[in-house]
Amino acid sequence: MTTTTGTNLDIKVKHLTRVEGHGNIVVNMKDGVLEKAQLEIVEAPRYFEAMLKGRSFHEAAIITSRICGICSLGHQITSLKATEQALGLEASEQTVLLRKLLIHGATIQSNVLHAYFLAAPDFLKVGSVFPLVNTHPEVVLRALRMKRLANDIGDVVSGRAVHPITPVPGGFTRIPTAGELKELKRRLEEDMYPDLLATVETLKSLAGAIPNFTRETEYISLRSDDDYALYDGDICSSDTGRVPDTEYRRMTNEFVIPHSTSKHAKVNRTSYMVGALARWNNNHDRLGELAHTAAGALGLQPGCTNPYMNTIAQVVEAAHCAVDAIAIIDALLAAGLKDERPNQEPTKFGTGVGATEVPRGILYHEYTYDRQGRVAAANCIIPTGQNLANIDDDMKKLVPEIVDRSKEEITLLLEMLVRAYDPCISCSVHMLDVEFIG
Amino acid sequence: MAVGNSFYGDDGVGTAVLEQIRQEDLFPEAELVDVHTDALALLDHLSRGELNVVVDAAEMGLEPGTAVAFRPSEVRLKIKSDHLSMHGFGLAEAFDLAAQLDRMPANVLIVGVEPQRVTINQGLSEAVREAVPRVISLIQAEVSSDG
Repeated sequence: MTTTTGTNLDIKVKHLTRVEGHGNIVVNMKDGVLEKAQLEIVEAPRYFEAMLKGRSFHEAAIITSRICGICSLGHQITSLKATEQALGLEASEQTVLLRKLLIHGATIQSNVLHAYFLAAPDFLKVGSVFPLVNTHPEVVLRALRMKRLANDIGDVVSGRAVHPITPVPGGFTRIPTAGELKELKRRLEEDMYPDLLATVETLKSLAGAIPNFTRETEYISLRSDDDYALYDGDICSSDTGRVPDTEYRRMTNEFVIPHSTSKHAKVNRTSYMVGALARWNNNHDRLGELAHTAAGALGLQPGCTNPYMNTIAQVVEAAHCAVDAIAIIDALLAAGLKDERPNQEPTKFGTGVGATEVPRGILYHEYTYDRQGRVAAANCIIPTGQNLANIDDDMKKLVPEIVDRSKEEITLLLEMLVRAYDPCISCSVHMLDVEFIG
Repeated sequence: MAVGNSFYGDDGVGTAVLEQIRQEDLFPEAELVDVHTDALALLDHLSRGELNVVVDAAEMGLEPGTAVAFRPSEVRLKIKSDHLSMHGFGLAEAFDLAAQLDRMPANVLIVGVEPQRVTINQGLSEAVREAVPRVISLIQAEVSSDG
């Protein structure tokens, strides 16, 4: 990474704003030689795997859903899937549909908030969402309206939007009524749909502000034969194709690195990317008409290698999730809602892996249960941790390309890059793999 | 309305107060809302023309367990990003947005409780647990003076 410009550059952004948790951007260039370009993760680890030790299978999802206020639903669903696989608990078709509906609500909520509140201020060159309330009040109100409807999906299906209560191993403790689902469908059609179209128009007007930077990398996401994989599927690499989710350790290869309290990960290259852009690149053929229309309007192409476009891919996904949420409600209503009790009689006690696409990328939980149904070992691999090496590699390519710009401009482009990944540092910083003895 | 993550020690004080109120049915006419870490959801529940009470852990530099009732106008809420608030939007940001969007009710009371510890997987500290009835008394005093 040598240039001949003889440039010196020294950037340190301490506690980057508009990301979840605490991270520092550090860049050093001396005499044109890039010595350092990295995202330092300084947050103290949470040790949540250790907390799971000895807890009953009824509690695992409750504990992991509390790891993070923003990713609670993703952790919960992934935890339930890992527990069910370990204990041989079958989830019914209705349970799977309701969980998919929950994931759609959480994905819409997270993606919309990131695009409007965390990324859009960069595109409009303002420091936060607050100035937008005066200049673009209708945009802020639209974002809040979309967030509320997405939250209400969570409320109706899971009892509450944050830290859901009704999803348990083997099913739900309460099934929503047909009337509640019909009302959600009405609001998705009458409110969410026009708001999504307006969102695409708003972002289209800002598309010129998205930096033009590309770097080829490996994209990893779930992939399924029959839908745009969010709830489940095989692990799919853009480099090497599909493998079952039980091979997740080979598809993450976590390693410790000095400048981060969160582990890094790599598979076929020095880094890989997970999240909306990875899902788009691997699964765009599984998206419907509205999502493709949005992608076309926003200039998102298959095989996109610009990480800044992750925000655009999030909006495209929000469109998909809204449309598919309606289809799921139709399927649930057509089948007739059954007042099923959760299936909580273990047929075995072993190890299970859950892999789910949560807004920031692929999330893995793995639990081993003892014969009393208590957690003997646990491992969680968080999307943001998987993206950290990719962010560093992006910065190493980006900095020499923009080194002739002002320090302020370089700093902003680096901040925007990290924000584009929508990192949740809070949840990526957690204790390393723990194996309990005895 | 309660704000906070009951999995992070004393940040769960709002939830604890709400549960107590619910169990004893102390305010049968009130809407009880726990927004957990999603402070922005306050915007969906703030009700104009009525008394809105928000209970949250608040770093005020006081003895742990100290409960203080105040009006948003009486303080400057510090806007900060931290891992306890969704997307870095906490109470301060939610009120700021509500005010700018002209959704801020005239009658808002915040009851802040000084936390002792805000660490994962710890319940309420003794000091904050003992503060729960005092918080409820503060709310009752406000409700009776409000008529």
